[in-house]
Amino acid sequence: MTDIQIEFLSAGLMSGMETKQKVDYIIDHVKADKILVIGEGMSPIEETALIEETMNQINQKFSGIEVSTLREKTDNGIKDRLIKLLGGRSGGLTVIGPSKIVREMKRDPTHITMYAGDNPKKKKKQD
Amino acid sequence: MGVRVDNNIMRHLIKAPAYVYEMPWKKIKGWFKGLFAKKKSIRLGLYGPPNSGKTTLANKISVDWTGEPMGSASEVPHETREVQKKEHVVVESDGKKIEMNLLDMPGIATKIDFEEFLEYGFSKKEAQARAKEATKGVIEAIKWLENVDTALVVVDSTQDPYTQVNITIIGNLEAREIPIVIVANKIDLEGAEPERIREAFPQHPVVEISGLTGDHINSLYKAISKHSR
Repeated sequence: MTDIQIEFLSAGLMSGMETKQKVDYIIDHVKADKILVIGEGMSPIEETALIEETMNQINQKFSGIEVSTLREKTDNGIKDRLIKLLGGRSGGLTVIGPSKIVREMKRDPTHITMYAGDNPKKKKKQD
Repeated sequence: MGVRVDNNIMRHLIKAPAYVYEMPWKKIKGWFKGLFAKKKSIRLGLYGPPNSGKTTLANKISVDWTGEPMGSASEVPHETREVQKKEHVVVESDGKKIEMNLLDMPGIATKIDFEEFLEYGFSKKEAQARAKEATKGVIEAIKWLENVDTALVVVDSTQDPYTQVNITIIGNLEAREIPIVIVANKIDLEGAEPERIREAFPQHPVVEISGLTGDHINSLYKAISKHSR
């Protein structure tokens, strides 16, 4: 069984970063076989930028990522918009890992379930 | 009776940059017309994860309105690795005609492992080449997100709709204020649960269809006619 390293990152760490910096930071860590749990929900535009850069980096050793984001919605739309307008975040969570370690992520609006470890399909092939 | 207004007098009355008064009226009228008039032709993009049935649906739409298919569909993921275009597709529904450029996008994914293609009988070299093309296809589909006027997000009704790829595509289109019609596809298959798609995305119109058999395809044309811009 492969060792799994999980890093928990505060939203504050990411808040000062531009989208590109954020994406580069995530991909560098994920390529080093780390699973990241970030204390904020990435925006759809950031997620798309992450997918795009992931595609640029895919090679024989790195086959991509599994990612799941929970974006916390407040009941008060105006409050949510005001927080965003002031450059703040309205909470949420993002989990990202390399697809060779994270087999699958399942989610609903409030939960993320991550299945990690050796891929039984691939293991069978190697046996 | 027409009233002629001297541009110099206007300039004194309202402090605006000189170029405002020097713009030809035809140009101004054109701008206003462009702002409020309906576009002659829209770009309709088909988005979704691989194997959700985008190409089968694009072919159905294309055959219905032009008599010709667009591309080849296959059970192998990432069969469409470049954006497929069909221009001047005129869809008519409820007495309204919409001319569109139909864009069948490569499936969007977060991972592409060349080894998966080996299971479909490709050699290692072919599988690696296919994976490389597939990554380029995903990038191309993402780049097109800012250039479509309306999007059909095609979701396989037999699969869990609440995936990150679906959420990211829909969230991105919402952020750009692009009209979305969600297509709950493959309703002809056993195990199809289109109601789960409605529950997952209640904020958008959902149309239940089968791109393969053409079931309920007219309701899709109605939705395109109603929601596109």
